[in-house]
Amino acid sequence: MNIYHYILLTASIICFLASLRQLIQALNKKGDLDYAEPKGTANPAISYSFTNAMSPKKKETAFLHLPTYTAGILFHIGTFLCIFLLAVNFIGFNIPEKIGYVIVAIMAVSIISIIAIFIKRIVNAKSRVMSNADDYFSNFLIIGFQVISCLAILMDNLLPLLFIYASVMLLYIPLGKLKHTVYFFAARIQMGRFYGYRGVWPPKRNKI
Amino acid sequence: MVEKKYQPALDIFDKMLHGKLKTHLNSCVHCGLCGESCLYYLTHKEDKYIPGKKVDLISAIYRRYYTLLGKTVPKWVGAKDLNDETVAEMVDLIYGACTMCGRCSMHCSIGVDIAFLVRAGRSMLVEINKVVPGLQSTVDAALNTGNNMGIPRDELIDTIEWIAEDLEMELDDEKATIPLDKKGAKVLYTLNPREPKFFPLSISAAAKIFYAAGEDWTLSPDAYDVTNYCYFSGDDKGGAVITQRLVDKVAELGCETLVLAECGHGFRGNRWEGPNYINKSYPFNEISIVELIVEYIREGRIKLDPAKNTKKVTIHDPCNMVREGGVIEEQRFILKQAVSDFVEMTPHGVNNFCCGGGGGQLAMSEYAERRIKVGKIKADQIRATGAEIVVTPCHNCIDQLMELNKEYKLNVEIKTIGEIVADAIVI
Ligand code: SF4
Ligand code: SF4
Repeated sequence: MNIYHYILLTASIICFLASLRQLIQALNKKGDLDYAEPKGTANPAISYSFTNAMSPKKKETAFLHLPTYTAGILFHIGTFLCIFLLAVNFIGFNIPEKIGYVIVAIMAVSIISIIAIFIKRIVNAKSRVMSNADDYFSNFLIIGFQVISCLAILMDNLLPLLFIYASVMLLYIPLGKLKHTVYFFAARIQMGRFYGYRGVWPPKRNKI
Repeated sequence: MVEKKYQPALDIFDKMLHGKLKTHLNSCVHCGLCGESCLYYLTHKEDKYIPGKKVDLISAIYRRYYTLLGKTVPKWVGAKDLNDETVAEMVDLIYGACTMCGRCSMHCSIGVDIAFLVRAGRSMLVEINKVVPGLQSTVDAALNTGNNMGIPRDELIDTIEWIAEDLEMELDDEKATIPLDKKGAKVLYTLNPREPKFFPLSISAAAKIFYAAGEDWTLSPDAYDVTNYCYFSGDDKGGAVITQRLVDKVAELGCETLVLAECGHGFRGNRWEGPNYINKSYPFNEISIVELIVEYIREGRIKLDPAKNTKKVTIHDPCNMVREGGVIEEQRFILKQAVSDFVEMTPHGVNNFCCGGGGGQLAMSEYAERRIKVGKIKADQIRATGAEIVVTPCHNCIDQLMELNKEYKLNVEIKTIGEIVADAIVI
């Protein structure tokens, strides 16, 4: 372990604890007790909330905006892959060259997707009106993270830069827009609870 | 620091700030994709109508007073002070440009419950007396007179009596009546005050169904209003007063079941929100008349002949009863038994478009022009079905549909579920 490892480890722990706190607070039912007689149950609806309800077959924001939705899915896959690579690099595991090239290819698709979304945020009037500095910065932070992760596969000497960059990103996650990493899960769970309790999700076509 | 006059809004916000509210305040990623799910944005194509912008009105205030970056570098995260400007914007968009239909919430990229946030914003505005006057006067009428139209007790009794006389004549049976304040009746039925005022046929239809089913039921002239406009205004305290009236009346008469008349928000307000306003579960059963009719059909207590309704019928789904209330297939089950030609709108069910009259819009004459404009989406949906009759289990929706019928020359009849069932009933 060198100094960069320690910096990354510290940032990861801070990010993890802050995010965990946010998640616990978000899912805490105290104060949100429901006294109404339920018509359904939460768990199947929560599963539905994370699966079919998110699919382009059901979700208008997906099927009416298929290119954006697809780019969004791709770059999120890329981001999680980068976090996995970061962990791999942290423990000092050497990625075999051929697998490295495959990862770089996947990452290239992800980077193109996130850059496309970034450009859309800048040039599309509707997206621009929705955005604040934090939105652009968060987007930019993830582009940088993916690009450096990708380059670090090809160039070992970039690992210190990757560790420092990732540390900054991890420390920013609980503060700005990137906290949706946690709140996305909380929101889907809350939505599942709500529609499940009321018997709306999962859909029961022609059944009463 | 917030100006003193706005402090009560932050105080109530602080009280409401539990897990669910925190979740939805922190979730929006500003993608803007929800625009196409909202009738206001689809109609006006103005950025301020994007549901995510409405979310931001409330979350920007949250960020300003509750987050590190919002407190230190507000511009960076788009945090805003609660001041004259933001309050004016909230009133215009949170009351005047949202029916709280929940369509955007269901389709949001992330799962932000936008309608829930809008309701939270309205609760803040209640505390600083910023409820739109039209809506507040409806709430005041309900709180002060016991019903949202301020109908005097004697006038209601007169109306009920002549409806009962007509029913007795129609069915040629003196047992076909409308019992008032009957102690120990199994069912206490409710009304939307628009029924005695403008739509007595709806009451007559319900009475006919109860008669055919052999139901032991009653109405109370002192507590019958199914509506609860405090749900729309954002006033939980007033909501509790209105809820408690019906709860007390059920107890006083010793009824087993409270049956909710055809009213979308009345259903939601009583079925889902009411117990939370009074902080306890109801000690009785509660069911909508739509669900009860399904039970009657299933149990063979009423028989319907679809040949009695041969015109093409479509259904409009009230948001608060369907997407936000869970009564989705029941009305379809009934219509398939009651009419011979049924056609769905596109989209329908949980994906329905609001008629434009929800969220208290019908009470806010201040925004009447917007309401009629956004209703064009519903008008186009109706026209596309080719239906001659539009059925909806909501008197609020009926009012809006009647206005749309006139404005967009739809040339359709508009009926409640009860009315179409009463037409099909075999006695
Ligand atoms: S779709 Fe959801 S996440 Fe995107 S702007 Fe609308 S509310 Fe926010
Ligand atoms: S709740 Fe309905 S009216 Fe309000 S923003 Fe969402 S889609 Fe629009």
